[in-house]
Amino acid sequence: MLGSNPARSDADAKLRGEAVFGADLASPGMLWAAVSRSPVAAGHIRSIDVASALKVEGVLDVLTAADVPDGRTGVIVNDIPFLAVEHVAYEGEPVAMVVADNRASAEAGAQAVGIDIEPTEPVSTPEQALAPGARLVHPDWNRFVVAGGVDIGRDGNVVAEVVHDPGDLDEAFAAADVVVEGTYRTPRQYQAHLEPKMALATYESGRYTIEVSHQYPFRLRDRVAQILGVAPSAVRVVGHHIGGGFGAKLDVSLEAFAALLARRFRRPVRMQHTALEERLVAPCRANAMVAVRSAVRRDGTILATDVEIVSDSGAYANNGPALSSIPMFVFGSIYRVGTARIRTRNVYTNTAPTGAYRGVNGPWLVFANERHMDAIADALGRDRRDFRLASLARDGDLMRNGQPLEEVSILREAFDRVDELVPWRDIVSRNQRQRDAAAPSSPPAEAGADVLRGAGQAAAIWLTNPMPGHATVKLNEDGTATVITSATENGSGAVATGLRQIAAATLGLAAEAVTITMPDTDATGYDAGSQGSRTTHVVGRAIADASAEVRSQVLDRASQMLEAVPEDLVIDAGVVTVAGVPAAGLTLGAVAQAATWSDGPITAGASYVTPTPPHDPACATGMLIKGWPTPTYHLHQAEVSVDVVTGRVTVDRYVVCQEVGRAIHPDAITGQIQGGVAQGLGFALSERVDLDHGRYVQRTFKAHGLPLAEDVPKVEMIVMEHADPAGPYGAKGAAEPPIVPVAAAVANAVSDAIGVPFDTLPITPEAVLEALEAEPNGEAVARAAREPVLNRDGEQERDTTGRAS
Amino acid sequence: MPGAAGEQSVSIRLIVNDRRHQLETPAGETLLGTLRERLALTGPKEACGEGECGACTVLVDGAPVASCILAAGSVNGRTILTVEGLAGTGELTALQQAFVSHAAVQCGYCTPGLLMVLTALLDDTPDPSEADVRRALAGTICRCTGYQQIIEAALDAAQLMIRSATS
Repeated sequence: MLGSNPARSDADAKLRGEAVFGADLASPGMLWAAVSRSPVAAGHIRSIDVASALKVEGVLDVLTAADVPDGRTGVIVNDIPFLAVEHVAYEGEPVAMVVADNRASAEAGAQAVGIDIEPTEPVSTPEQALAPGARLVHPDWNRFVVAGGVDIGRDGNVVAEVVHDPGDLDEAFAAADVVVEGTYRTPRQYQAHLEPKMALATYESGRYTIEVSHQYPFRLRDRVAQILGVAPSAVRVVGHHIGGGFGAKLDVSLEAFAALLARRFRRPVRMQHTALEERLVAPCRANAMVAVRSAVRRDGTILATDVEIVSDSGAYANNGPALSSIPMFVFGSIYRVGTARIRTRNVYTNTAPTGAYRGVNGPWLVFANERHMDAIADALGRDRRDFRLASLARDGDLMRNGQPLEEVSILREAFDRVDELVPWRDIVSRNQRQRDAAAPSSPPAEAGADVLRGAGQAAAIWLTNPMPGHATVKLNEDGTATVITSATENGSGAVATGLRQIAAATLGLAAEAVTITMPDTDATGYDAGSQGSRTTHVVGRAIADASAEVRSQVLDRASQMLEAVPEDLVIDAGVVTVAGVPAAGLTLGAVAQAATWSDGPITAGASYVTPTPPHDPACATGMLIKGWPTPTYHLHQAEVSVDVVTGRVTVDRYVVCQEVGRAIHPDAITGQIQGGVAQGLGFALSERVDLDHGRYVQRTFKAHGLPLAEDVPKVEMIVMEHADPAGPYGAKGAAEPPIVPVAAAVANAVSDAIGVPFDTLPITPEAVLEALEAEPNGEAVARAAREPVLNRDGEQERDTTGRAS
Repeated sequence: MPGAAGEQSVSIRLIVNDRRHQLETPAGETLLGTLRERLALTGPKEACGEGECGACTVLVDGAPVASCILAAGSVNGRTILTVEGLAGTGELTALQQAFVSHAAVQCGYCTPGLLMVLTALLDDTPDPSEADVRRALAGTICRCTGYQQIIEAALDAAQLMIRSATS
């Protein structure tokens, strides 16, 4: 049962085209609404002309800020207006809503609204936002209310600041033999879920019902209530199949608009993003800059590390203030980095608000951490793997938040396991031989002379999101079981297989005998949604506990029926027997029937929240995420070929070693690793989300450069199991982290191949060719790469400086 | 503006999943719109609307097309197969079964398009190479899976079909 691969509960419906996704929903008599959005990144609204929109046949009404609740709302900072008032702060900001009796008219009406804006020069980048005298994105920022009233270090364009400063860095830098510096820059990444965001809202008997495909129905309930100014219990969210989310479907988007209109028109109201709206307002992974400066001794000891981080919040706050805690769990948690000062600022710009994308902040933090490890190894002339092994954190070390690293030695095991599969020394010596063969002295026609090969590694420790979950398990009178929960299945299989297997294993049933309900905030306890790989661990634990209680009730009833003590009973394949007497069994159906008509139906509920790990509350200012619960351990190894003529990077071999606690459904984990690596490869090599004066450049899937079937290699996997005592059957999270180390491993491999450091993503063919051309020695650079950087004067591009003490 | 009120309608005939239909469609309506709005076949998915992602793929006379950028009027009289027509009311096809056994379904939004593209491939090329499969998938974006389990499912289905045809 556990560790096997039963079919997903939703596979048949999805394969027949029968599964109803949010974007497939319709309701009799429904109206359609569409949003009119700001065409500019920043400006003052002079006027909004609704007359021509009202003339579009089928249009019923046009609403502007004057027609909707005033005030601002948000997840952490209440800074988002319902519709733009006086000012617009990003291209795509909602300005008006158009309601019509059909979709085409609503969309035509939204286009016809005349929005007259006096444009302002946008604050386009975090650098501009932080420059002295920068225009404030929100001049009235000081009036915004922060949830819980906590101090998150807001100041003008700074949305949040997290500072960890132990205070004695100067001494360490003075004692250093070598100071290594690097600045690591990464762009936004677009989730590119295929199903557009949508909502279907109805209003009846004083309550709103919102049907949607959403990762976190309870947050949606609370956000819609906040925006409309009603009690959360006045909103019911019903979830349907989700056509991908990856973090983009964790917050409110169109739902409050649809709810308000449903009440106003007393008709169901349907909304859905157009393809362009999807891109304009997607809560992309934030673009970021991470500057790292390390004081290092010649023996490789890192004495101190100074980290300065700036991430782009976009025009509103979203969850950036909370995510600004995450650097505290990366620097110093994987490798010993000495005394560390870490400052993270999340800043406003006149761009679309950024948000959650799988592995929030992790891909760029690990990119910086691991590019920097390579830079230090190169500066010391050390083998990069040896340097990593020597620098690995040890069990008992403390993370920067004071949390003990209890099992970080699993990372050392990961390095061993990967080396058993692909010995690092073999790769390094093979690549060196190949580089030597590619030297100008070799015959020019030699095969492969235009291709340089490199290898890179990247390690990570990632959390399993701890937030609350609940499940009710009921034994049906036919001997099957139903699990009632609002956990959401966003594709990973966590609900469609994992939770089902956990219930079935505990109850003694086949997986097929367990049904799990779709999310409904009226019917279930709170669930914190599909995020941070939490479903299998947190909801799985609640289901295991509730199922154990159901099992106990079954055994109590069966012991009376079989005249045996409960301890002597076994449940297998839906049959209860006395151990050693298989002939005299009772089906679970018979037990359930007997129970229902005597004591009452067999049912039990359980809740679970992962406790916050022990930590030092005074470790930093502005921390909203206090600890790093249920960590999992990861090592990725990439081998690449770089064509120095075309600049194209090919990933020849990719190995993932991932620790999962316990593999409940190995094929589902395979799918998460392969899919996570594919998204990571896109981030590393091809995906583009460029901003030009605050406006997105790429406006089609093709332009984004998403990986296609011909681009993604088969990933080789080593799955390690170290059962977590708190998890259901030892399971931790598995789905989110495979994306986290990918860009780091690939960038290290490409930098190794051509000897030019790639500290900025993506590494497109153009970027590779530019880097090669910028090198004064041209192709010779590739061969010089193995020389320690200390011996290379004037090597500014590397952002690495060496100095003797 | 597709389907905007006040435009002329066009009369078309389609054979969809073995059933004949005579339909009045607004001029310019896409085949995807006709299938989803008029025939309630919501298996073909609406995603990019630009013919780039493949979630809307159906077979027209056996060839895969992006139904989101094809006018319904342009396929008047043609034979259409959607994901709903693969298994109909019966057992899953060998390809669909291979998707189950290879865990090739995740969120499932691209799955209908993938199935149509691969059904056409296996029809034309009963014993495809891995490279053939990867090339056939070039017009279909799957953001969840990284493609590998889909490719393995297609190759496995091809072998199953060859074996069952020769046994």
